[in-house]
Amino acid sequence: MIRFENVSFGYTRERETIKNLSFHIKKGEFVALIGANGAGKSTISRLTNGLLQPTGGHVYLNGKDTQTTPSSVLAKDCGFLFQNPDRQICENTVRDEIAFSMKAQGWPKDKIYEHVNAALETFSLDPEWFPFSRSRGERQRIALAGVLACEPGLLILDEPTTGLDYLECTHIMDYVTKLNQEKGITVLMVSHDMELVQSYARRVLVLNHGTLMGDGPTNQIMKDAPLLKSARVLPAQIPELALRFGDRFRDIYTVEGMFAALYSMNINVEEGD
Amino acid sequence: MNLLNYVPGDSFLHKLNPVIKLAAAFMYGVAAILCNNVLGEVGFIVLMILISYSSGLGDRAVRLTKTLIIIGMLMFVIQLLFVRSGDPLLVIAGFCVFTTGGLISALLLSLRVVAAMLPLMLLFAITQMNDLCNALVKKAHLPYRYAFIVTTAFRFVPIFTTEFHDIQDAQKARGVDFDTKNIIRKMQLIAPLCVPLLVSSLKKVDNSAMSAEMRGFALRTIKSGYKDYPFTWRDIAVVLVLAALIIFSVLFLK
Amino acid sequence: MISIKNFGFKYQNSKTEAISGLNLEIADGDFVGITGTSGAGKTTLTFALNGIIPQKIKGDFYGEILIDGKDTVEHEAEEFALSVGEVFQDIDSQMVASIVEDEILFGLENFGIPHEEIGARLKKVLKELGIEDLREREISSLSGGQKQKVAIASILALEPKYIILDEPTGELDPESSRDIFDLLTKLNREKGITVVIVEQKIMLLCEYVKHLVVLNKGKLEFFGTPNDMVSKIDTFKDLGINIPRVAELSSRLIAAGIYSGEVTLTVDEAEKMVREVLRI
Repeated sequence: MIRFENVSFGYTRERETIKNLSFHIKKGEFVALIGANGAGKSTISRLTNGLLQPTGGHVYLNGKDTQTTPSSVLAKDCGFLFQNPDRQICENTVRDEIAFSMKAQGWPKDKIYEHVNAALETFSLDPEWFPFSRSRGERQRIALAGVLACEPGLLILDEPTTGLDYLECTHIMDYVTKLNQEKGITVLMVSHDMELVQSYARRVLVLNHGTLMGDGPTNQIMKDAPLLKSARVLPAQIPELALRFGDRFRDIYTVEGMFAALYSMNINVEEGD
Repeated sequence: MNLLNYVPGDSFLHKLNPVIKLAAAFMYGVAAILCNNVLGEVGFIVLMILISYSSGLGDRAVRLTKTLIIIGMLMFVIQLLFVRSGDPLLVIAGFCVFTTGGLISALLLSLRVVAAMLPLMLLFAITQMNDLCNALVKKAHLPYRYAFIVTTAFRFVPIFTTEFHDIQDAQKARGVDFDTKNIIRKMQLIAPLCVPLLVSSLKKVDNSAMSAEMRGFALRTIKSGYKDYPFTWRDIAVVLVLAALIIFSVLFLK
Repeated sequence: MISIKNFGFKYQNSKTEAISGLNLEIADGDFVGITGTSGAGKTTLTFALNGIIPQKIKGDFYGEILIDGKDTVEHEAEEFALSVGEVFQDIDSQMVASIVEDEILFGLENFGIPHEEIGARLKKVLKELGIEDLREREISSLSGGQKQKVAIASILALEPKYIILDEPTGELDPESSRDIFDLLTKLNREKGITVVIVEQKIMLLCEYVKHLVVLNKGKLEFFGTPNDMVSKIDTFKDLGINIPRVAELSSRLIAAGIYSGEVTLTVDEAEKMVREVLRI
């Protein structure tokens, strides 16, 4: 789905934000890209959909080289949910706003109508709302509805927690997870919220100063304290807690798991008395 | 935009009082406008570039001159076609296209535009907008309200540039084709760019006003300004030299 | 002390009240964190704490808010500006100048602080926030965390008694967010400044604040120390408030009768708890 081959990128000639980066994300994966501010996370997400062009190497999206394919074509394969929905909302009604991307991509009218109606229902949005006067959470939902109505094969989420409360964020992430599992949509999530990454992503790429420092299954990365520290990322609480007891809680990453383990261990302790 | 950015420095020009910088730029412009001589105008441009080199702004001056020359050429063509004095110079099919008088006055006008604009443009390279406004409030008693509007407008330029860029990215990511050659489609691109920009700028201006008010904007008086901008011998010298330049221009560059 | 009695507010052109029937007292020297889902009335509350509501933003105002005994309905917002400083949500529009130094000078100049004092205050506040090296910098070239510090410095220079911040870490990464909280703790502890902060990152709040306010749909749902949360954790989860994972764990252990201590808010506390449960 996404292939980076020895990609370098710099906003200025002297300083490279991304240095000789290679990785491959297959169809249907749910990948999180983590790292501190300035690690190059946003740059990678923008390189993926052709908003930025690599200064060295190649980026392939669905086999298309982003340097030779216009971004308007790449947009058909790749939905992008930005941190700030206000940068894209430009129509007077929610209905038109959701239809906007499909119109821009040249979809047939009847298909647009069908998909807009489906999206309105899925996200429980009122088609006649004036998007600008809705709350931040609703605006983000309108933006996501518009992105997903195009049925992209890849969805990029740029810091999905920014400006949203926990409930709104959970709703969005649960829905995205459902799409990932049921429809096989590939998800690339940029985030520094490790609890979120822990709960949703299956694979994690760790980035620091433009180089890839780690790449592996979420649970494995979560328990790699030195790696997270060197990437200036705070680990999620339960894995960090588990880690402090060595092998005792080896496969535990969640509150439920920890509770169950402590419960059974405690019974043993009591019986030992 | 970076042609008008401030260039930090410690040169003679940088150290002038901001009010004097503004006055000097105007006086230089007046001298250039009063000059009625093609060679004299060339002299004004060259002199300005030399002065800029002495303050480490040579590159900026040359680049600005090039940009201004483009504007000058536009004036040149218009003037050339409209001024009809002196002998016909180019006649095509019995129709006089332009005259000697037209050529000279066009050349003079376009050079004059360059010579008069150059110092004003260079003013931005040696003056912080805030300093200029504060000094104008202190020394020239410009109402603070207006000074604040001007500085705010300048401050918002980079913020809105980034915002505009981000909006463009967001719309590109939705599949909007900005490279289209079709004029009608191009016109349709205005809304997705301008509506979000308008919405966000209205919000920002609103918030900004509130923030300023809550920090006592309305209580401000002329005396409030902390930084003092005293005139020094440099300022007096510059004004005297420029006054002399104007007189020289009037008397000898007719 | 800021005392809020039966406070309610309805914005013009709005059908429902943003806040209603709110009673709250913020004592001097407190460090209060406000959280809640979006639309809970958090920003409205911050505007009410310094007289912006009802002086600058009009609407239907109910009840009474007293800042050190002065009623916000009867006094201009500017009268409170020197004692209550606020850092707004949108940091770019909070700023009024293009250079750091001018940003900090702005309030000092406007409020007519004597010129001989301004220079000293400027230096002091730059030092306190550890941003002396930023003094001459263009604000637009600063990182998010640096901008927040400049915004706080420009408020702090006015030597307020209270400082209110509306989601200052919203766009910061965990490291810079912690930086801001460390800084606020220092100001609270060393200078006795009362800090009121709106924040979504509940884990940070639990770790740093003295009192926690949870708003839900304009009503006060909870006021107490983070440790008092224990009895409310299930309610909070239903409201969609993100509870620190270790707090959730401890409350479940307490409920199951395995652990009898207090609710744990940090991984360190949780580690102690686990050791106690396992007797190791």
